[in-house]
Amino acid sequence: MNPLKNLSIIRKSVQISAFIFFVYGGTLTGFYLADKVSGALPALSCAYDMQGADLCTLIPFQHQMDHRLGEAIAGGGNLMMGLMPTLITLGTFLVLFALLNKAFCGWICPLGTFQELLHNLGQKLGLQRSESLAPALVKRIRPVKWLILLLLVFGFPLLTGIGWVNHDLGDPFCKICPSRMLTTLATGETSELYLDSSSSTALTLSLVADFLFGLTIALALSIRQPFCRICPMLALHAVFRKLGLLRLVKTATPGCDRCGLCAKACPMDISEIHTEMHKKDVTFEDCTLCGRCVEFCPYKNVLQLKYAGLPVFRADPAYFKPRKKAQREWEGSNLLALLKGSRRVARVKQP
Amino acid sequence: MNTYCQIALATLLMTLLQLPPAQAQNSSQAQGEAVSGKSGAAPQQHRRGAQKFVLENSEGASIRLWKPDLSTVPLVAEHGSITLPNTGMDNYHAVVVERDWGALKEALIRYQYMHGKPSGHSTRELTAAEKTSFEIVPDPVPREHQHYRSVRNWNFLLRFHGAPAANVAVVLESSNGTSLSSISNAEGKVSLLIPDDFSHREARGQDQRSAEFTVSAELADDSVTYQTQLSAEYRVDPSRWRSLGLGVFVTAIGLAVGGLLGHKAVRSS
Repeated sequence: MNPLKNLSIIRKSVQISAFIFFVYGGTLTGFYLADKVSGALPALSCAYDMQGADLCTLIPFQHQMDHRLGEAIAGGGNLMMGLMPTLITLGTFLVLFALLNKAFCGWICPLGTFQELLHNLGQKLGLQRSESLAPALVKRIRPVKWLILLLLVFGFPLLTGIGWVNHDLGDPFCKICPSRMLTTLATGETSELYLDSSSSTALTLSLVADFLFGLTIALALSIRQPFCRICPMLALHAVFRKLGLLRLVKTATPGCDRCGLCAKACPMDISEIHTEMHKKDVTFEDCTLCGRCVEFCPYKNVLQLKYAGLPVFRADPAYFKPRKKAQREWEGSNLLALLKGSRRVARVKQP
Repeated sequence: MNTYCQIALATLLMTLLQLPPAQAQNSSQAQGEAVSGKSGAAPQQHRRGAQKFVLENSEGASIRLWKPDLSTVPLVAEHGSITLPNTGMDNYHAVVVERDWGALKEALIRYQYMHGKPSGHSTRELTAAEKTSFEIVPDPVPREHQHYRSVRNWNFLLRFHGAPAANVAVVLESSNGTSLSSISNAEGKVSLLIPDDFSHREARGQDQRSAEFTVSAELADDSVTYQTQLSAEYRVDPSRWRSLGLGVFVTAIGLAVGGLLGHKAVRSS
């Protein structure tokens, strides 16, 4: 298959370019926070990365809950003034989000890209990989991202600002986010990988952060997108997904009942893409708009990526067949298969 | 005392130091000035309102506050101190103190973060602007919400009439008694290690102590001597309560557990 027509390869190129830009692009945009592209990026581009080109919207949200809204509530100040910075950040986030919708996860996010690259490495090393997690497990995991969004991004920072919990909980999501460690380590800075013994809260948060970082790396080698499944950014995207111009659209056919290749291809194990037979807009809460389901749908126009109502990529048997073949070849050529093949040859050669 | 002796003495004593927050607050309250009503637990970086500095021996000095949009406000020293008014703008401001003795021109600069509405201007603009003939420019200033920390190298740029000043001796002195020296390179740059000169402390918790450092240089041109000084606050390096080794160890445990869980998940699916 012509790689230039392979959506996964096009996406990977965009992801790697975005990774380089958002992790190292500060050399182009500038060093200071005021130099950054938006200050409210709908992807985990970390503010702790001094060389980064932008910062994730979750950090201003946490700071504004703590230092603006929380303190306005505690001090009996003007609540509207306390809320105003959050509304400005939300507005900036929404302007960007409307452009790409949840594709910020599937096409832009540095942490998402890192996990995909690790998974590709796992494939090439021949580590047994999971096509999909058990549906029951997927369902159990799904609420976690909402809890993290409500508690760690908004709840604890707000309580910190009000003065009900200690200051270490002012930005708890950043303190456990693997992107903080990934992006700083990617620039050669080790100061964000630490165990903090200054207080029991700091110790707990740093333990969780380090453990989660190691866990994410190891799981990504065998399971697709492990951290994305609990990422609060995915939950925030889910709230506003009806405002995005890019959508995943389905026109179900009777063949969909028997097929299910779309759900198998989905890196987030969204089985509803397969089972949903009535809804047109199938941009589900966990969807990252990566387009893999469209690539692996064998029925013409059943699944489509549409931008402002116009199709930009459609399911097509003419695309599906070579794409599936290319995928089989990619998955077949790995270190383990190579070793097995050489052992088989050796056994045949034995007298 | 002849003029030259006076100049020498004045040069030795002219310093710009930030008052500790509590002292500044007490002092400001005593003078009936507006200081933020935030709780005492709030960190200094989020404190809004006026900020106070000790300015020793400032007789005859001209003092200006440069805002992020490069507009300036004249300031007056009173009772050996200056108060930076709340400009309503967020981001770094620069306090520039100049004194002209004819044969000697002195300058003190301090970049100070002040809170307010987003200024829409980058600190790059403030550092790039020529604020005095001979100046030491942090390259870069610690990013918004960050601080100078001990045991870190920071770069400074020496500029004379906007052009890099090469081969100039530079001295860093800390209020904890450390003195370091270096020489600017051909691009006018000098890299200095902020000293780890805080005394050992047994108490647990984050070490919030801070101290002051000054970076000074002197340059002669056309029988005029230019002396310049940059002052800033620095804090204890967090490596005193953060361990990289233990962080790597916990990450390794996460890796091992992740490997097992991944294997189990794959088998069950």
